[in-house]
Amino acid sequence: MTTPTRLLPLLLLGSLAGTAAGEPLVVVVSAQQRIERLSQEDVTNIFLGRFRTLPSGLPAAPIDQPANSPLRAAFYQQLVNKDVASINAYWSRLHFSGKATPPRQTNSDGEVLRQLLSQPGAIAYVERRQVDARLRIVFEFPP
Amino acid sequence: MRRRLLRDGILLRSIVVTILAFILVGVATIAYTAHAARIQAETQSRVHLEQLLDTVESTLRVACFVKDVQLAREVALGLLSNTEILRVTIHEGSFILADIQRPGNRGSTDVAGSLVRSINSPFIEGDVIGRIRLTPDPEVIERRIRDDIIGQALQLAWQLALIAGAIVVTLLAFVIHPISAMSRNLHAMDPTAGDRLQKPPGHARTEIGNLVDDVNALAGSLVQALEKEQALRLQGEMDERRYHAIFDNAESGIFIVDRAGRLTSWNPAFARLLGISGDAARRLSELPWAAPEEIAGLIEAAFTNRQPVSIDARLQPPGRPRFWLKLVLSPVGSDILQGVAHDVSALKEAEAAARRQALSDPLTGLANRASLEQQLGQRIRQHHLQPGRGFTLLHIDLDKFRLITEGVGVTAGDEILRAIAGRLGATVKSEDTLARLSADVFAVLLQDLDDDGHIDKVIERIMNSLRQPYLVDGSPIQLTASIGITLFPSDGGDAPSLLRNAELACDKAKLAGGNQAAFFDATLAETAEQRRHLENDLRQAVAQRQFSLYYQPIADLARHRIAGAEALIRWHHPERGLVPPDQFIPVVEQSGLINEIGLWVLDSACRQLAEWQAAGCPHYLSINVSGRQIPDGLPPQAVAAAIARHGIAPERLALEITEGILLGDIGVARAWLLAVQQLGVRLYLDDFGTGYSSLSYLKRFPLDTLKIDRSFVQDMQAESSDHSLVEAIVAMARSLRLRVVAEGVESAAQLQMLEAMGCHYAQGYHLSRPVPAADFAEVVAGIDRRLAG
Repeated sequence: MTTPTRLLPLLLLGSLAGTAAGEPLVVVVSAQQRIERLSQEDVTNIFLGRFRTLPSGLPAAPIDQPANSPLRAAFYQQLVNKDVASINAYWSRLHFSGKATPPRQTNSDGEVLRQLLSQPGAIAYVERRQVDARLRIVFEFPP
Repeated sequence: MRRRLLRDGILLRSIVVTILAFILVGVATIAYTAHAARIQAETQSRVHLEQLLDTVESTLRVACFVKDVQLAREVALGLLSNTEILRVTIHEGSFILADIQRPGNRGSTDVAGSLVRSINSPFIEGDVIGRIRLTPDPEVIERRIRDDIIGQALQLAWQLALIAGAIVVTLLAFVIHPISAMSRNLHAMDPTAGDRLQKPPGHARTEIGNLVDDVNALAGSLVQALEKEQALRLQGEMDERRYHAIFDNAESGIFIVDRAGRLTSWNPAFARLLGISGDAARRLSELPWAAPEEIAGLIEAAFTNRQPVSIDARLQPPGRPRFWLKLVLSPVGSDILQGVAHDVSALKEAEAAARRQALSDPLTGLANRASLEQQLGQRIRQHHLQPGRGFTLLHIDLDKFRLITEGVGVTAGDEILRAIAGRLGATVKSEDTLARLSADVFAVLLQDLDDDGHIDKVIERIMNSLRQPYLVDGSPIQLTASIGITLFPSDGGDAPSLLRNAELACDKAKLAGGNQAAFFDATLAETAEQRRHLENDLRQAVAQRQFSLYYQPIADLARHRIAGAEALIRWHHPERGLVPPDQFIPVVEQSGLINEIGLWVLDSACRQLAEWQAAGCPHYLSINVSGRQIPDGLPPQAVAAAIARHGIAPERLALEITEGILLGDIGVARAWLLAVQQLGVRLYLDDFGTGYSSLSYLKRFPLDTLKIDRSFVQDMQAESSDHSLVEAIVAMARSLRLRVVAEGVESAAQLQMLEAMGCHYAQGYHLSRPVPAADFAEVVAGIDRRLAG
């Protein structure tokens, strides 16, 4: 009985990833930035408000996909194994203290890219096929 | 008062013990409770804090994750709203997010029991990003502990109070009250009246009940013991009264002497004996004893030996004759002597008299034989110890003294003996010893006389002195003595042999005619020895029947024929052959064998008479009877028995006696003679003329026949004095109606003379010697023929 209950989230994960894009998600920064690689832990700390600077010394400016984007759900699911509601609840708890701020919300994929390139310490997650020379992949989810 | 004490005692002690026990238990319990309560409070506090932390953990994680000081502070304040928490510190790495302490609290911040918990990242499990420290408020914990302890103590207190109350009630109800009741009852109880304790209700089978039983049993046995003791005391009083009566009325003196020898108590008899008056205490030894130191020694000995001691002590009371007391002192306990005294003066005097008598002759006051033997023994022992000159022993026997006492009477005889004692005393020295050995026998022990010449002088003096006439009723009596002399140590080494040898020497003097002295010599002893041999042989002869009877015919001068015979004893000694009667008859008479031999002669003679009687022979037979056989050696009954046994006519038997028996106890002799005569037996007086020949005897005694002694007949010639004497005797006898036998007829002439005088019978060698029984008939026939012819 334990096996099905433990397997269930994995099955869900697999189906979501497949149906969302079929493309793996990667974390990228502007190629101009002096960041080569980040660990999953670094990525978590940056996107969930713990680190407010990048290893390069620039203030960190994480950028989120649109709120109801399947990419967003997939990303957090893969990063910290939490659904979007939990992430939203987390940010809402910190909202009033004002000490930490959630990643900047975008309206579209294009806005993600634009902000990535325009902001000095921007960092975001995108589908691998969207990565081009302007961007540098600093983290990939292990297969 | 006592009851209260009793109650207070048990109750107080029980309560004190209970309280002490409870205090101990309470302290232990509270100590334990305090410890347990602290552990519990701390545990509770920790659990509570943990729970609190659990509720704020997710917020904490977030606050730490984003290092949000404000959020952390909010959490900390939230936690501090709990009163148990004194301080909250939240670290993120080395950075302190929040550190808030309850205000106004003085306690230290580093309290043991602080709770520290790590804070994990909300996103990465296992990633520790901070920690929180909760410091509990110790006062709160202490207060809780205190409350716990107070609660416990209160509970314990009322429980203990309950138990103590129960114990008190139990004690009162089941122990103290019953015991108090018993105590009250015991006070009122009179066991001798039969009162006994009642068991308290409900205690029939409890220990109290058993105690009541025991008390009652004890009371019972005490009452019994009391009654017994009372009975004993009563008995004791009675005994004491009785003993007191004995004490007061005793003939013997009874007294008590203490350790110091003082008389502390005495009875009237003792006071009387010793002439004590008043109650003044005095020492026993202060009484008028002849030897007071003896009494003191006796008291000491009684105390020392712890045994009764006794003594015969003499008293010399002033103004009273001396007397003897027998004192017996018996120790009673260690400090008291009980004494008894009786007057033993009479006993002492009797003893002294007996002692004197035992060693002296009551008639003369001289030493007796025992005393003389003692002195001889003493002299001999002295001589052995210190050899010196010997001594001389004289044996003095008065000649024919018996005849003299017969003549003058016993009283006069005693007078003479006393006179002799006096004369002897005057002739010897004071150191010499005089003794009277028997009736007329004296002895003298002469000191230091070993010179014969000197002895002769002394002997001469004694003989002379004794030879002087004695005046009895105004008429002088002449006496002589025979004296035997022995010398110590030459004539004997001990007292008995000296005495015997002196007597032998004296016998020798007597045999030599008396009135002389003879020294002992060895031949005398030898003679005596021979005589002893002879005596032994004679005893054997009696046993082996070595005797036989010979018969000497006696002729009837009127009828010219033999009328009878005299039986004469003969001894056929196996070695010496035929022993003449004069050699053994004296020994027989002196040794006592005479009685046995006399009976044998009687029996043999009767048998011979029976034979003659059976043969139609009419002869009579006479046998000789010694004075020593009369009266007991030959009792008249024995004569009667012999006559009856052989069936002879008694008048054919004749017993020949001598004048000797008539000189002894006349009464006894006369009675014997009369008894024998009553049997019909004839009685002859033998040897008439040689002895005292008193005519009065012939009248006084029942005699049939006189036998004239041979000495008169042998020398009888015509116209001689003997002839006249014989003639006179015959005439006298005839006038007294006595028959006469003439002995020793040795010639026909004598026979004719006797016949002419009117003598009835004759006996002698002229007719026949004594012949054996076998020859008798033939001899008689020959004589008869001769006489008839």
